[in-house]
Amino acid sequence: MLRKNSLGSGFLYLLIAGIIGYGLGLGLDLLIMGSLRFTAPVPSAFTLLFSFTAFFFGVYGYRGITRGLVFQIVGTLVGGFLVTGIRALMGLTLFGGFFFTEPAWVFGALVGVVSFLFGVGVMDDWVKWARGIDTPEHHEDEPGWEKYFGVSLDHKVIGIQYTITALFLISVGGLFALIFRTELAASGLQFLNVEMSLFGQNGPQLYNTLMSLHGMIMIISILLGVSGIINYVVPLLVGAHDMAFPRMNAFAFWVAVPASVLLLMALVLGGFDTGWTGYPPLSAKAPVGMQMFFLGVFTAGWSSILGALNVIATVQRMRAKGMTAWRLPIFVWAAISTSIIALTATQLIGLSFQLVMFQRLFGMGFFDAAKGGNPVLFQHLFWFYSHPAVYVFVLPGLGIISELLPVFVRKPLFGYRWIAMSSLGIALVGFVVWAHHMFVSGMNEYLRVPFMYSTMLVAVPTGVKFFSWVATIWKGKITTPTPMLFVLGAIFVFLLGGLTGPPNAMVSVDLHLHDTYFIVGHFHDTIFGGFVFPFFAAIYYWFPKATGRRMNEFWGKVHFWLMTPSFLFLTFGMMRVGLLGMRRRIADYDPLLGFDFTHLLLTICAFGIALSVLIFFINFFHSITKGEKADGNLWESRSPEWLVPSPMPVHNYEVPFEVVGEPYDYGLPGSKYIEFVPAKGGKH
Amino acid sequence: MTHKHDKKSMLSQGVFIFVYLAVLTGLEFFVAITFNSVAVLVAVALVKAVLVVYYYMHIYELNADGEGDENSYEYKTGTNRLGLWLFLISDSFVFGGLMVMRMNLLGLTRPHLNQTLGLLVTAVLLISSFFMNRGETMMKNGDRKGFLNSTLITFLLGLGFFIGVVAVEWRLAAHEGLTPTSGPAGAAFYMMTGMHAFHVLTGLIFLAIVWINGRKGLYDEKHYPVEAAAVYWHFIDVVWIFFYPALYLVGAVVG
Repeated sequence: MLRKNSLGSGFLYLLIAGIIGYGLGLGLDLLIMGSLRFTAPVPSAFTLLFSFTAFFFGVYGYRGITRGLVFQIVGTLVGGFLVTGIRALMGLTLFGGFFFTEPAWVFGALVGVVSFLFGVGVMDDWVKWARGIDTPEHHEDEPGWEKYFGVSLDHKVIGIQYTITALFLISVGGLFALIFRTELAASGLQFLNVEMSLFGQNGPQLYNTLMSLHGMIMIISILLGVSGIINYVVPLLVGAHDMAFPRMNAFAFWVAVPASVLLLMALVLGGFDTGWTGYPPLSAKAPVGMQMFFLGVFTAGWSSILGALNVIATVQRMRAKGMTAWRLPIFVWAAISTSIIALTATQLIGLSFQLVMFQRLFGMGFFDAAKGGNPVLFQHLFWFYSHPAVYVFVLPGLGIISELLPVFVRKPLFGYRWIAMSSLGIALVGFVVWAHHMFVSGMNEYLRVPFMYSTMLVAVPTGVKFFSWVATIWKGKITTPTPMLFVLGAIFVFLLGGLTGPPNAMVSVDLHLHDTYFIVGHFHDTIFGGFVFPFFAAIYYWFPKATGRRMNEFWGKVHFWLMTPSFLFLTFGMMRVGLLGMRRRIADYDPLLGFDFTHLLLTICAFGIALSVLIFFINFFHSITKGEKADGNLWESRSPEWLVPSPMPVHNYEVPFEVVGEPYDYGLPGSKYIEFVPAKGGKH
Repeated sequence: MTHKHDKKSMLSQGVFIFVYLAVLTGLEFFVAITFNSVAVLVAVALVKAVLVVYYYMHIYELNADGEGDENSYEYKTGTNRLGLWLFLISDSFVFGGLMVMRMNLLGLTRPHLNQTLGLLVTAVLLISSFFMNRGETMMKNGDRKGFLNSTLITFLLGLGFFIGVVAVEWRLAAHEGLTPTSGPAGAAFYMMTGMHAFHVLTGLIFLAIVWINGRKGLYDEKHYPVEAAAVYWHFIDVVWIFFYPALYLVGAVVG
């Protein structure tokens, strides 16, 4: 029989609970609607929640994440029935095609999120604090892999939890992309057609939902990936024993889990067809899935905000002795810049989504022109976050490039201060460029030109970075293990993304390019170059630090050499069809436009990327236990975390270090960055 | 004015600041009913906010704790202070966004509201801020009983404000035809007061916890939780310093 707590029993429970959930949902739906609807939202939602929870029960037992998910389901039902009860007293409709009515779902989902947090145990310490009981800031974690499934206050565990969740969401978002990319391979509707029906949506509607969710799930996964790398690396780089607020750190991670569940619920609860931007008035009319999407993003936003707060406090208060502003590792500068945006601007996307939620729930006409509202106001509030958000994604990525490049060219980083300031510069200029998304939205025309110039200004600090990277590589002793390959790939791809940006910034050009596939190609270039490539570089680079083993070099290189050309061809093709007139966000196109062959090639490229990422996953999970041992300074780095054994000890540095020199003086004889100096008190 | 540290001058400083704030609120009201200058209203609100942020919320203390062992209570308190202020900066973007929403939708018009009640709840919140400052000062001087009494008064006044806005003002406004669905003025009014009231509610919970634990003597030595509750409570007051003129005073009444 199957071992308790194993992947095998996880999948077994998943299957059993999935069937039970499906049957239950089908029965309930039959009760309400009076007919058997096999692909309706209710059975799908029950299947999703039940199987997801049961999987973790099989793997881990009834504690940690499993307990959280059970609490979330129960909380959602309790909240939903509470509102339904109140509606019964008021004589309103009680149930519908989505089981609960919309207000019941929204309140239920909210209660579900809070219940999850209590269930998983991340609130325990605060509840005790409120009752006047002191708790330690460091818990003893379970040994082995099991600690990753429950609440841990160790920043390294949380960093890995973030990274794994990000990788999971990347594969979900990527899967969605493959589905609708396949539909686009030829003109006409092949399998996402009007005859099909799934989750209460027909084919084109499902296309819209998948396309919209691909956007937002990828964004959330990038935010979690950013948090993952920052969480793992920043305390190590600055010599802290943990983040400044370990409990809040755990909270910030765990709040992202119910948020992800809500995003997946959006798919099965009728979906929505607004794209990831959720503009009203369309989003004020979409099915209840829209509300799940809003709530999911709103909840995930808290993860981002609190994580950013923690990073700033950690760097400000817990740096090693002698680590002055100009000796701060360059990645830490990037983390700070990104955190400034995430801390402040994130509130605005939360607010804009909240206002649409209230417009739907209570009929408050913020964005309803018929009630004197202003739909363009939503776009201002939304883009005030959502443009800087892309700098939240790319700044840490660019920081990783700058951090890793000197290691692999054995030369000092060129223009350290300029790079540090350019990160900050991008972050600050990023606050005043948002309206370039709205050149065709009908906002006041006098706003166009100022926003055009402020947008072009972003190219200046970005150019500083490129100049520095090129000068760093110049005449270096270049070696190209996998992380370096991804760094070089990132520079190249981000350059393409960067060069295609300024044309879009120009009002006269953007009026033609807006909402074409050119934009899609452009931003995939920036996000892959600015985040995905550096993210993989970071994983290959710091993997030995976390596990004591390295990932397979050969398969790492296969990953790179498969992904890079596929990706380049994909985005070039996207831009080409965009320039020729292909609109974004639509399920079909006219065969007379002559895109069919290009789209077929693009779809093949998309599968090439998917295959390369699959190779990465196999390599990743295989190497955790079977990889080649690497417990020393594998990359011959000067950075402090590589001067202690791998995997990293639980409380980081047994002996604290002091900074005595410049961080990136590779190849300079006699230069020294840090020194380990035992503390006088004997404690860390 | 410098920040002195003996008990008596700290308490009297609180009184002075309260008097300034009260006078400025009166001035605000006067400006609104006479020549209604937006510039003056903004200036007065900014001065009030700066007074609260500096003298009641002690923002200067962010600079005060560079010293000490990293594991000492003093050093951690400094980190906590920074964390709380970062949170407040983040939170103020929500209220800033609501303000943008209000200016975009309503411009220089405002909803028809009960002015007497508006001034009354504003005064109640201001007085609660005064007692909060008094309670915090007393705790820092080791006067637990005084702290408990002042915090209780703060809590009751805060509760009064909450009831005044949510139970009385909302009902009165709805009676006059200003409902959430009635138009942009209604939407903006209920959203802004609602979001603020939500923060008041969380502040009340925070105060209740601090009061109950304070009664057990948990904060006699380590009084950062008291300070945190106080700073949060004053932050709610600062938000209202801007929301009050935005909803009740600026511009001309429509509808």
